[in-house]
Amino acid sequence: MFGYVRPAAGRLDEADKRRFGAAYCGLCRTLGDRYGLAARFILNYDFTFLAILLWPEGGEEEARRRPCIAHPVRGRASFPGNDALSLAADQSVILAWWQIQDALADPGGGKGKYRAAAAALGSAYRRARELRPSFDRAARTHLERLRALERAGCPSLDEPADAFARLLAGAAEEVGDPVKRRVLEQLLYHLGRWVYLVDAADDLAEDFAAGSYNPLLCRFALESGVLTEEAREALSVSLDHSIRLMGAAFELWDFGRWSPILRATIYEGLFRVGAAVLEGTFQADDAAFRIAGRNKEHL
Amino acid sequence: MTDPYEVLQIPGTATDEEVKKAYRELARKYHPDNYHDNPLADLAQEKMKEINAAYDAIQKERSGRGAGGAQQSYGGYQYQQRQASSGSPAFQRVRMAINRNDLGMAEQLLRQMDDHNGEWNFLMGIICYRRGWVDEARRYYQTACQMDPGNLEYRQTLNYVENNREGYRPEGYDVYSTGCGGDNLCGRLACFYLMCNLCSFGGMRFFCC
Repeated sequence: MFGYVRPAAGRLDEADKRRFGAAYCGLCRTLGDRYGLAARFILNYDFTFLAILLWPEGGEEEARRRPCIAHPVRGRASFPGNDALSLAADQSVILAWWQIQDALADPGGGKGKYRAAAAALGSAYRRARELRPSFDRAARTHLERLRALERAGCPSLDEPADAFARLLAGAAEEVGDPVKRRVLEQLLYHLGRWVYLVDAADDLAEDFAAGSYNPLLCRFALESGVLTEEAREALSVSLDHSIRLMGAAFELWDFGRWSPILRATIYEGLFRVGAAVLEGTFQADDAAFRIAGRNKEHL
Repeated sequence: MTDPYEVLQIPGTATDEEVKKAYRELARKYHPDNYHDNPLADLAQEKMKEINAAYDAIQKERSGRGAGGAQQSYGGYQYQQRQASSGSPAFQRVRMAINRNDLGMAEQLLRQMDDHNGEWNFLMGIICYRRGWVDEARRYYQTACQMDPGNLEYRQTLNYVENNREGYRPEGYDVYSTGCGGDNLCGRLACFYLMCNLCSFGGMRFFCC
């Protein structure tokens, strides 16, 4: 995905920052163990959030400090592998692969980096597809639907967002407890909607300049790459509701020790990121949005 | 029965005031306003029943041992049952399908109708909202309000979508809106004021902000 989903750092105490960092590094390590070095570059906060949501219940794991390729001397604390990290790693690879394919299928030039990424991730994707065939099929189906809607210049915000939202909701399909599965399906559905719409807002100026499809351009018949006041208000109603519905789902399951991190994401982090994107001030590597020094540069 | 103190997430030594505070916070969290037209409303209703029962049990126990000021839980909230309106039998069938959460059937019944009046647009809006399609829901509600400006149900539902965007906030979390971003204090305060004033739905909201 895109790296928009992150807790508000100011809401986390030091223990929660360390816990979040250990989950982030645990996912990085799991990606590396399962798929090799190249796969570690797809790591971002969004997939860490997914792993946390899927985290198995039970006793407290101990994060261990181990050296890694980015921190060969001092190392970083990371949680040992578990089913949630494996599932999030597999699904991350599948999603990243189909997003690369989507970018390659776009008309226009500048495909070099996507071709390189596809070459680097090819064997990892084939392995992930074998491990999670159902999620792979769903990802392909929903992204094909999304592509068809984009080709048709769909003027709805909700229809293309629904395709991406369903894809993400599918990440809950292996959750055993039926109540937790329902809660996560709703939470992930609205997370998927939110991510899709925030990404559309983030790409608006670029898509307008390139003449590419963007649901916001079509829905609001924009004549520039900037949202009008009316469009901005309508979009923020949709984004706020998706966050509200994520919160309503979140409160129906006890996420235990992960609750403070999830709360800081749902009740503040997403609003802050969404507002920054709408204002055109969001930078993924901005210190204001970084948690405990974790970021791509550390890989 | 589950320990009522455990349900309210407080120790058995909690004072009456602490019991009341814990109950209010949980009641605010699972209030029907937060699960209006939400596919998880049944789970919220279960939670609300549990905390009501726990609060009533504690009140009963404490009044029995002479503690004063026993109060009953709020109880009796309605979760997402839409009343059959005074509309035609065809619209009543659509509302019944919506109440069963059979959104496919509800939409099919609406698509078979030629007269896309206020009620038709309103019910399409509900179907969209339950699917999480907020932008389209809002547009259908707006059309329903334009076609039938005097209809209170349409107006309240549109107000809910446009103004009750925050829902429940845990204690200590500010009111936030994506449209009121940045760290500009004046902007944040204006936004906070706006949302405080507008986050009522049908007079049901309580403990607002």
